[in-house]
Amino acid sequence: MLGFVIIVAFQLLGVGLHRLGVPLPGSVLGLILFTLALMLGLVRLEWVERSAVFLVRHMTLLFIPLMAGLTTMTAELRRNGVALLASLVASLLAVLLTTGGLAHLLLADDEIAEINREADLLP
Amino acid sequence: MIRLILHLLTHPALFIVLTLAVYALSLRLHARWAWIHPLLSASIVLIFLLWALHIPYASYNTGGGLFTYLLGPATVALGVPMYKQGIKLKATLPRLSLVVLAGSAVGMITAGGVASLCGASHEMVMSTLPKSVTTPIAVEVSRSLHGDPAVTAAMVLLTGLLGGVIGPAILRLARILHDHAVGAAIGASSHAIGTASLFRSSEVQGSVSSLAMAMAGIFTSVLAMLLNLYWRAQGAGHP
Repeated sequence: MLGFVIIVAFQLLGVGLHRLGVPLPGSVLGLILFTLALMLGLVRLEWVERSAVFLVRHMTLLFIPLMAGLTTMTAELRRNGVALLASLVASLLAVLLTTGGLAHLLLADDEIAEINREADLLP
Repeated sequence: MIRLILHLLTHPALFIVLTLAVYALSLRLHARWAWIHPLLSASIVLIFLLWALHIPYASYNTGGGLFTYLLGPATVALGVPMYKQGIKLKATLPRLSLVVLAGSAVGMITAGGVASLCGASHEMVMSTLPKSVTTPIAVEVSRSLHGDPAVTAAMVLLTGLLGGVIGPAILRLARILHDHAVGAAIGASSHAIGTASLFRSSEVQGSVSSLAMAMAGIFTSVLAMLLNLYWRAQGAGHP
């Protein structure tokens, strides 16, 4: 339970900073500060790990009520249906392939590079 | 008697339990048939039940809304997997941010471009721009661009769902198989919904995806801010 308290405290910290004028959403500010606190050792992993893993593992659950809420706005979506659907599918494919392709080119050889570096250290 | 049943049928606790039950069922289905995405099956079952039992969405949301509130803490909790992968990712962090920046820019240009080509109004085009990032960021970006936040929220959910369902398969078809590349692509395109799907199969992919999702959120906010500044510099305000 301590983990939940710490996590919610960081969310509130983020929300507060957002209200004070930082132009990023509260939960994202909370995420950035929470990660920094973990890296700096201000928050220990064992305090928060179980609560955080629980929340992340069941994140799909948290989207179910919002999905059901889509039924209340079918009229607006239908009026612009074709344009919105085309935009959604085209943009999703574009982002998946650009990001995945670039990452494949720039990041994929990392593990091989690491093995080579270790090999260099061998006599 | 009827009044008692009506009272129970509109009690928030019932809707909390209903949501949990639908989620548990969807996980069972997913375990049996891996291709059935839990969010898709859960949403369809829930929408059907609300329709069949004549429960208005506003009434359901008195209980179901509890889970929506937990999205904030869940976003913050992504810090733990990000931190755990952080040491391994330190060397690749600058390259990863470059990749996600490119993805975010391409996402905004294609989303707005295609909507515009299909004849959508300026407000609708603006609503599509932040559709690749997580709901709280997307809604604020949409508002800053004079889009319709409700349409944006719908686009975000549907993008995340579609990306979670078909994203990994498309990457496999394109022979993009490396854990870091899959994580970056899903995180940048399908935010928290895609990330949650990845965590079910791979901790590494999920963590990279969390990182890419947070970066995409930040880059999209900054790009939208620049777009606003550019229009202001043109003196025209919003076209």
